[in-house]
Amino acid sequence: MNQRSENPIPTAIAGSLVALAALAAALQVLFLASGPAAGQAFWREDAPKIPMAPTWLAEKALLQPYSPPRTPEGVPDLQGVWGAPGGDGLSYLEDHEYVDITTPAQETFVSDPPDGKVPYTPWALAKRNEIFAGLGRGWPGESGDRLYSSPQSYCLYFMPEFSFEEVEIVQQAGAVIMLGAVGFRVIPTDGRPQMNDSAKFWYGTSRGRWEGDTLVVEVTNLNGKGWFDSTGHFYSGNTRMIERWSLADADTMDYEVTIEDPTIYARPWKMNFPKRRPGTGPQARGVRLPGAVSAGAAPIEDPYANEYWEVGCYEGNAPSAASLRALGFQWFRGVLPPP
Amino acid sequence: MRFRQWYESIRLRPAVGWAAVLVLAPMQGIAQTAESAPYTPPRTVDGQPDLRGVWQVLNTAAWDLEDHGASLGVPAGQSVVVGRTIPYLESALEKRRENFEQRATLDPENRCYLPGVPRITYMPFPFQIIQQADKVTIAYEYLRTVRYIHMNGNPHPPGPIDWWMGDSRGRWEGDTLVVDVIHFNDRTWFDRAGNFHSDALHVVERYTPTGPDHLLYEATIEDPQVFSRPWTIRMPLYRRQEQHVELLEYQCHAYLLEEEWDNPESTFFDTH
Repeated sequence: MNQRSENPIPTAIAGSLVALAALAAALQVLFLASGPAAGQAFWREDAPKIPMAPTWLAEKALLQPYSPPRTPEGVPDLQGVWGAPGGDGLSYLEDHEYVDITTPAQETFVSDPPDGKVPYTPWALAKRNEIFAGLGRGWPGESGDRLYSSPQSYCLYFMPEFSFEEVEIVQQAGAVIMLGAVGFRVIPTDGRPQMNDSAKFWYGTSRGRWEGDTLVVEVTNLNGKGWFDSTGHFYSGNTRMIERWSLADADTMDYEVTIEDPTIYARPWKMNFPKRRPGTGPQARGVRLPGAVSAGAAPIEDPYANEYWEVGCYEGNAPSAASLRALGFQWFRGVLPPP
Repeated sequence: MRFRQWYESIRLRPAVGWAAVLVLAPMQGIAQTAESAPYTPPRTVDGQPDLRGVWQVLNTAAWDLEDHGASLGVPAGQSVVVGRTIPYLESALEKRRENFEQRATLDPENRCYLPGVPRITYMPFPFQIIQQADKVTIAYEYLRTVRYIHMNGNPHPPGPIDWWMGDSRGRWEGDTLVVDVIHFNDRTWFDRAGNFHSDALHVVERYTPTGPDHLLYEATIEDPQVFSRPWTIRMPLYRRQEQHVELLEYQCHAYLLEEEWDNPESTFFDTH
């Protein structure tokens, strides 16, 4: 799982841990608001735009229908390792040109609406713009304030970000399990009811069901404190996410998530991208700076390349939380609609 | 001293299912059952003994591995140590005493760090065992920790490596899952009473099915820098019986950071 991955976390952990811990601390100070920094990839300014939802929609339209194999229980067999979307991952959700060496030009993750933008209500858009202007990353248009840093800066994980990382799917009767470098999800598919909505969680609670060849997962009970990316695209404690996991072909997971929340979005919207089995699919996703600090791929012959090793993100990066607090960043407690 | 208040509050508040641990289990009875009534567990599709499911302890080891009386917020409990007493080196007892006296500030649990092995097993949170051909995975509700017990033929990677949860390599001995764990750091404790180890810690865990709803959990602890000889803890693990049981989450550091962030007098951020 380590080699060829474009997810910075699992690739980084195979390296020298002591050096990486020091590097992570240094990078966290250097790129204050840019999320987990261990193995942060650096990118060339002239790199071609990294494909995401629009390219995938066009590619997908040309594919033949695919019938996945079935498990002994008779449900679609989605098991195996499924990679991260590549590029700068969830650094910047919407379409953007090159911003800095950690933020290359990249297409939007948003597949619907067609303009590729999150359809906020007016007050929510104003809030989103306020957060963006207060990121303190030295980007154009900032207010000069330090408002919030990405929750990922504090090694917090949540939905749907977990689904965007590399995950290994394991299926057993009544459940689909997703294992990653920094966490897990167990998605019941036994028809159990959701919990009362007053119980809130960083990951929410997940309930899965099979619709034909697709695993449909409804995520509710979210605490609304996570972000979609590191630039402050947010959801709320009222948000419902409906994930659709289906195989586009033997080596490609078609991942789509619909986001619903009338309190902050004018309409439901979707993100869509492929998750590939490691070592398959198009490899050309931007161009990294040669020789730069990057997600160092483990040698293919490394017998440990397919193991996830301890990340210890919070344990290693706790000092950066203190630094961010000292710099005046506030704690993001979620958004509330105006009364 | 908001941090101290937080610490006291989590100790004294009967939250996170602590009520359950008041029902004490007869340790020795379980152990005898395991020896006298062999149980053959079902097999997974890979032919392994099937240990899958959601499990939890029902004891007070999280507070103190050894015999202890009750105090405010701390239920009394019998030792889970075989032979009752941990065989400390004389030279290590002073540090254990200091740890106990200063546990409010020194216990790594109060900073929400990964709790290490075997401590995470007997914290008052459920965990789920997941099996594949090449690994057994234990998913813990506490901190959403995922622990991979590799069974792919790879030995422990060469050290030195200081991991919070160590490096786990498993094998089957009959129906028992045996896990060899090394590559620890010296920053985790065994309980809230200050029992500790060095980074020379070596743990061998044994998970033995003793019935459809019980596992016998044993962990042998070896650390020549702290203990005069290897010693073993032993306790049953119980399958959670609720129809819709599932792991929820306890994102300790999220709650801790959020509480400390806006406290101008917080000392939490000074001491990393």
